[in-house]
Amino acid sequence: MQLVRRGNAPAFEVLYDRHADAAFSLAYRICGQRALAEDVVQEACLSLWRSGARYDRDRGSVRTWLLGIVHNRAIDALRRRSVRDGGLVSDEGIAERLASPERTDVEVARSDEAREIREALEQLPGEQSRVIELAYFGGLTHVQIASMLDTPVGTVKGRMRLGLAKMRMTLGDPAKVAL
Amino acid sequence: MSAGGPHLDPEGCGSNAAAYVLGALSDDESSAFRSHLESCAVCREEVAALNVVAAALPAAAPQLTAPSELKRRVMAAVHEEAARVSARPSRAPTRPAFPALRLRPALAGLTLAAVVVALAVIALAPGGSGVRVIRADVLSSRASALLRLSGGHAELSITGLAQSPPGRVYEVWLKGSGRPQPTDVLFTVTSAGDATVGVPGSLSGVSEVLVTSERRGGSRVPTRAPVIVAHLS
Repeated sequence: MQLVRRGNAPAFEVLYDRHADAAFSLAYRICGQRALAEDVVQEACLSLWRSGARYDRDRGSVRTWLLGIVHNRAIDALRRRSVRDGGLVSDEGIAERLASPERTDVEVARSDEAREIREALEQLPGEQSRVIELAYFGGLTHVQIASMLDTPVGTVKGRMRLGLAKMRMTLGDPAKVAL
Repeated sequence: MSAGGPHLDPEGCGSNAAAYVLGALSDDESSAFRSHLESCAVCREEVAALNVVAAALPAAAPQLTAPSELKRRVMAAVHEEAARVSARPSRAPTRPAFPALRLRPALAGLTLAAVVVALAVIALAPGGSGVRVIRADVLSSRASALLRLSGGHAELSITGLAQSPPGRVYEVWLKGSGRPQPTDVLFTVTSAGDATVGVPGSLSGVSEVLVTSERRGGSRVPTRAPVIVAHLS
C-alpha cells in the first residue's frame, strides 16, 4: 500500500488482483447487473488508487476499506436506479434480485472462510437473516424494511442486532475468518 | 447509555448500532448517530463489536471472478494517470496556478460570480490516447473539480466541496443546446469534501457538465444555480 500511495501502478495491480473478485462479487450481489457492478468496482478501485494516501491501517485492512467503498457505491447506484425508476422496487423484486442475479458469470468455488460466513448467516432464524440481507445487500433502510415486512421499526432493528450478535458468536472473530 | 448526545429513539440509543453498521439508517439518522457516538461509550463499543461482523458480510455473497475486461479498463486508467503524474515537471506547483478569469456569457446569469473561476484543459495524454482532463469552474474557492474524458467515458473528481445539508444531495446534469438534462447521478461528498462520480451516457452534443444541489431523490429540472460547471467545448 505504501507503493500505491506513491502512485506505483504495478503495486496497485497486485492489490487489484488480490481483491477484485471479492469486490466484483459484492457489487454484483447488490446491483444484480453485471454492467452496473463493473462500473461500481471500477469507480471504487480508481477511488482507492487516487485516495490511497487517506488509507489508515489502524482502521482495518485494505480489503475491508475497498469493500466498504464498493458497498457504499453499490448502494448509492441501487438507490439512484430506484429513484430513476420512480421509487423502490417491490418486495418480490428485491427478493428475486437477491436470490437470483443474472447467471452470466461462472460462480467459482467459495473459500472455506467465505462458506463459514455464509453458513453463519444461513443459520440465523429467517426473520433475522432477511432483515440483514435486505439492509446490507438490498440497500434498504430499517424504515423501508419495516414497511415492506409490515413489522414495527423497533422489531426490525432488534432482529438486525440479534442476528449480527449471533453471527459474531458463531464466527468468533470474523475478521480472522473473512479477511 | 450516554448522558450526552441525542436520544435517537424510544428504544434506547444502542438499538441503532446494528442498523448503523448495516447502512440501514437514513442519511440524517446516520449523521445524528455519528454525533451521538462521540459521547456514548456504550454505543461505540456496540458498533465496534457489530462492525466486525458487518465487515465480513461481503464474503457471504456468491464469489465470482471479476471480468478480465474490467481489469483492462481499470489498469488502463491507472497507467494513464501514473504516466501523466510522472511526466509532470517537478517545478509544477502543488496548487495549480489558475489562468485569468474567463467567465463565459452563459454563466452570467448564474451565481458563480465572485469566486475563483478557471477553465483549462490541463492534460492531453501523450500519443493521442484521447484522455482529456478538464478543470471545471467551481462555486467555492476552496473546492476543485476535474472532469476526465477517456474512451467515451467521463468521470468527475471533486475535492473540497461543502457537504450537502441534511435532506439534500448533489446532482449531475448534462447540458447541450437546450436546458440541462438530469442524470441519475446523485451523490454526497466525504467529510473531506471529496467525491468521484461517473458521468453516465454519451457526451455527444454535450457542451457542459453541471452539478447542482437538489433535494434528496434528485430533481428533473435544476432548482439551484450550479456549484460546478465543466465546459467540454
